[in-house]
Amino acid sequence: MAEFLNNSSLPAKAVHRPHKKSTRVDLTPMVDLGFLLICFFVFTSNMAKPVTMQINQPNDKTGESNQVCNSCALTVLLDSGNAIHYYEGAPENAILKTTDFSEQGIRKILLQKRQEVVSVVGNPARMVVIIKPMPGAQFKNFVDMVDELNIMGLKLYYIDEVKPADQALFLQENHYRK
Amino acid sequence: MGRAKIPRKSTNIDMTAMCDVAFLLLSFFILATKQKPPEAVTVAAPTSVSSKAAPEKSILITLTKEGKVFLMLGEDTKKKEIIEDINTTRALGLTPGELSKLNKMSFIGMPLGKLKALVNLAEALPPDRLEGIPIRDSANNELVYWLRSVTNAYAGTDQTKLQEILLVKGDAEALYPDFKSIKAAFKKNELFKFKIVTNSESAPVGSELYNVNKLGTKATEVK
Repeated sequence: MAEFLNNSSLPAKAVHRPHKKSTRVDLTPMVDLGFLLICFFVFTSNMAKPVTMQINQPNDKTGESNQVCNSCALTVLLDSGNAIHYYEGAPENAILKTTDFSEQGIRKILLQKRQEVVSVVGNPARMVVIIKPMPGAQFKNFVDMVDELNIMGLKLYYIDEVKPADQALFLQENHYRK
Repeated sequence: MGRAKIPRKSTNIDMTAMCDVAFLLLSFFILATKQKPPEAVTVAAPTSVSSKAAPEKSILITLTKEGKVFLMLGEDTKKKEIIEDINTTRALGLTPGELSKLNKMSFIGMPLGKLKALVNLAEALPPDRLEGIPIRDSANNELVYWLRSVTNAYAGTDQTKLQEILLVKGDAEALYPDFKSIKAAFKKNELFKFKIVTNSESAPVGSELYNVNKLGTKATEVK
């Protein structure tokens, strides 16, 4: 019997269907790539933003001068090797001592000095710190010193240069360094 | 005796979730990363307890460990005016073409006398071969001239805004006398306020600043 058969009427078994592939893909390489890129961005990113420290310089031309009481002043000389030499009051007849940037070092001395200023003049705000970095000092030492004063909440400080009177103290102490 | 059969599980695990996490983290880090501004040279800044963030646009003076000084005029500062001003005030004799070439450089690190030769070089010099701006001779501190041009360019504008953007970034191991020369250059131009760029660190526990930060008030008035 000659009869055209409609394709659709063929039994299901006879239809040649393409083999259905799974829609699942192997994601392992993609995960690898993802983590590789994460590593890259973690190492290149700098989360910590830089901060700024304010430095004010006096205007010498105004001719104003501040009188500092003798027992309010603490002079620190920053030396090479992270050393700090300090003396209290005026350089004449002062005793030069040496300390460092550790917590038991300059911070303790600043605290003691503040107590002393409070007991003498009654107001810690009158304490004055004079910073004199020596030629061997590093930039870091200077920043650390100003930072130390910020930590202590001391607002009054001057940045000065080493004067002959300070040099004389070194000779006197017999540990003069270049 | 028959043993209970444990059905063997497939070792293939579904990676989709892991992939999601990976790309979520990736997008976070891409967005959180900030494009670093081009730096003349890398310097390791010291740390401080300051909390004020550095401004985006700035006039940055960089001091390297070796004591070389570079000046970086930010893109949105009056860079063009500053360069034109120093050209006329110091009689550098740069042509308009050379001026625009200099304007395109991201930082300046050469003595004034060598700027003309520098802009006419076929290839840009790598930063480590630049000499830096001479500052050590106090009679001929060229940073003074640069800062004078900066003040000239900003004359008539709000000076407090100028003070906000003047930054000094020094290497922790740079020597103090070089910083002193920079400080002197500021002072000669009557710029009494500037900022030092540092990395941040937290205030030590129990210190005055720590208490102030924590309580938001001045807690200790020692009696």
